[in-house]
Amino acid sequence: MSPMLLLAIMVAETVLVGAVYLLYPWIVRKGLLFGVYVGEEVFDSAAARALTRLWYRGMAIVLAVGVAVGAALALAAATPVALVMPVTLQTLGFLGLYLWAYRRARRLAPAGPPPAAVAPLAATLPPSPLLPALTMAVGVACGAFAIAHAWAAYDALPASVPIHFDITGEPDAWRPKSIPTVMLLPAMALVLGIGLGGLAWLTANAKRGLRRFDQGASLAAQMRFRTAMTRFLSGTALLTSVMLTAMSVSIIRVGLGRAPALGRWEMALAGVLVLWAIGGTVYLSVRYGQGGSRLENANAATPLTNGIADNRNWVLGMFYVNRNDPSILVERRFGLGYTLNFGNWKAAALFAAFTAAIVVLLIVAATTS
Amino acid sequence: MEADLTLAVEWGTAEPVYEQIARQLRTLIAAGDLRPGSPLPAVRTLASDLGVNLNTVARAYRLLADHGFVLIRDRAGAEVAAPAVTPDPGSLAPLWQELREVLLKLRQAGVTADEVRRAIASVVAPTGGETR
Repeated sequence: MSPMLLLAIMVAETVLVGAVYLLYPWIVRKGLLFGVYVGEEVFDSAAARALTRLWYRGMAIVLAVGVAVGAALALAAATPVALVMPVTLQTLGFLGLYLWAYRRARRLAPAGPPPAAVAPLAATLPPSPLLPALTMAVGVACGAFAIAHAWAAYDALPASVPIHFDITGEPDAWRPKSIPTVMLLPAMALVLGIGLGGLAWLTANAKRGLRRFDQGASLAAQMRFRTAMTRFLSGTALLTSVMLTAMSVSIIRVGLGRAPALGRWEMALAGVLVLWAIGGTVYLSVRYGQGGSRLENANAATPLTNGIADNRNWVLGMFYVNRNDPSILVERRFGLGYTLNFGNWKAAALFAAFTAAIVVLLIVAATTS
Repeated sequence: MEADLTLAVEWGTAEPVYEQIARQLRTLIAAGDLRPGSPLPAVRTLASDLGVNLNTVARAYRLLADHGFVLIRDRAGAEVAAPAVTPDPGSLAPLWQELREVLLKLRQAGVTADEVRRAIASVVAPTGGETR
């Protein structure tokens, strides 16, 4: 890959990821400051605004350093590490700045009893489970098909199989044929299809974080946000399953010598998935805000309640731990989407199982590349 | 059911959480805000919203069912019960005794008979309070 192309991709990638990080303080629910519930009044205070400004300045420096390092690697060494290093530096910088801001925000948190817990009594149905169920079924079907297809073609594959392709779809790296090498992508199709579809289903039934005395406004905002997130995750799961399955079939065709490169359809699917993921994240953030924050409007002055507002149940503002709460997914305090209730053994088990599957796949990928 | 009806649980108070839940539901039912036949949230949903143990919500619902305020229909969940048409004398005796004790305490605290009548009217009025 030419240095200029590498540079262009690196800059685009850094800008996109950086833009998502920069959205976080803007989409947060009123009352939450860098993972700490400080109350709606303190949230609007000069101290809170000053902290947010400092965080933005820090992130600007992190982004600039990331781009500079990536540019140096791209132009001087023309190495693909130029695509990984800036995002890695950005993410580490983002985490470091967040933890710094979290500690400062804790000093602004009010003393006193924990906030009340509030639950609506109106009958509200979660988003339909049909779409997540369908995506899981598609994930299983695609994964099973990809595995069966690769297995059937295994003996006919040559001694050396392609494992990496350049941006035009042509193979640029090969490894000796082995079951892990050939089955990696089909296994990923199965695991990610089921995992992402399952995540969509859990999102549809996630814990609600309401405001008190707001005539149901936060409940309505929450339900709209959850529906939108469920659809987004279901779409991501479907695209991932189909894309990985198509890639697996295409790679087998290239390995068997029936095609010189990956097909345009498979490459296009990969592009659609990236656009869906990034575009969807930005759209959800701008249109809905975290937890429906941008739909709460004037009612956002009323206090947040238990779960989302109780600082006792949050570790570093990122990890929710409440053994009494049967919820598996709860709304994140900083960022977009949901996080697990690590005090619930079912959630912990799901996390462990999915993480183990990903780790195994990564180890196989590392040993076969 | 009104869209803005909510339950609130306050932490750190002497009243147990399940009693807070039961008391608020009892008040809403008696005031007519929750009408007979209205479904109550599923135990898991309410426990998730409040961040409490499933058993805490189940205990509150059982308490209300024991006093005739809700009907628990297993997998179909719980719903608000209609007031009994014909009172069961056996179940009324302890309630009358409880009322007498509360009235004695109110009298000792200086509450007048008129204030007691107004309090009774505010509770009984929404469901008719017909005499037999």
